[in-house]
Amino acid sequence: MKIVCVTACTVGIAHTYIAQEKLENAGKKAGHEIHIETQGTIGIENELTQQQIDEADIVILAADVSVSGRERFNGKTIIQVGTEVAVKSPNKLIKKAEEIVNQKK
Amino acid sequence: MDVKEIIDINTIKTDLDVENKDEALRELAELLLENNYITDVDGFLNDIYAREAAGKTGIGNHIAIPHGNSEFVKKIGVAIGITRKDIPWETLDGRGVKLIILFAVGKNNDGAQSHLKLLSSFARKLGNEEVTAKLLQAENPESVKAVLTS
Repeated sequence: MKIVCVTACTVGIAHTYIAQEKLENAGKKAGHEIHIETQGTIGIENELTQQQIDEADIVILAADVSVSGRERFNGKTIIQVGTEVAVKSPNKLIKKAEEIVNQKK
Repeated sequence: MDVKEIIDINTIKTDLDVENKDEALRELAELLLENNYITDVDGFLNDIYAREAAGKTGIGNHIAIPHGNSEFVKKIGVAIGITRKDIPWETLDGRGVKLIILFAVGKNNDGAQSHLKLLSSFARKLGNEEVTAKLLQAENPESVKAVLTS
């Protein structure tokens, strides 16, 4: 399946990027296509394209602060968690995303 | 620029002989002071503790990443400490900590974008289990640097 994510943390220098790395590895390991936008102190990187968002089966927001541009995901299925969840249990989070997407089918 | 530009061998200590979080943070902050990254140990640690109070910085698997924005930071940098034994820390997996990576970032980062970018790629490496497993095994500052820049 196709997943898009946004990661963002309070200070914007550490958890944002650790969560990015962990989600990316977990997503790829499970065989998914995954795109992750980071919103940190240096600003937005890997900004998701409208096409990536449109094609995504599910959106994972791993954020401790409000996600900028959240309206881009209106109408999508969204899992919202703190960065801690993505850092601690990335594989579980991806599994949960799979379950939610499968239920919808 | 490359990550190796923010990894300073002088701010890496692989034989930290400390009993707790406070001793570890203080020793790493002293290293940052000696090497001109920060201007004041106590002021800097206050800002680090402000972030500690906001949530766990122990990311699991014996690693902690204390950090925060501090006006006492002159230059963006990182101090890395490896302790001989697990020390108590607030962690996501409830285990103690052996590898402490202390980020020093200023409050005003105008003109520091490229360094912040390096710091973010460095943070990203810490989300990679292969990297952290090797770091935990590192026996001297040179090998810590080698793992992070490979």
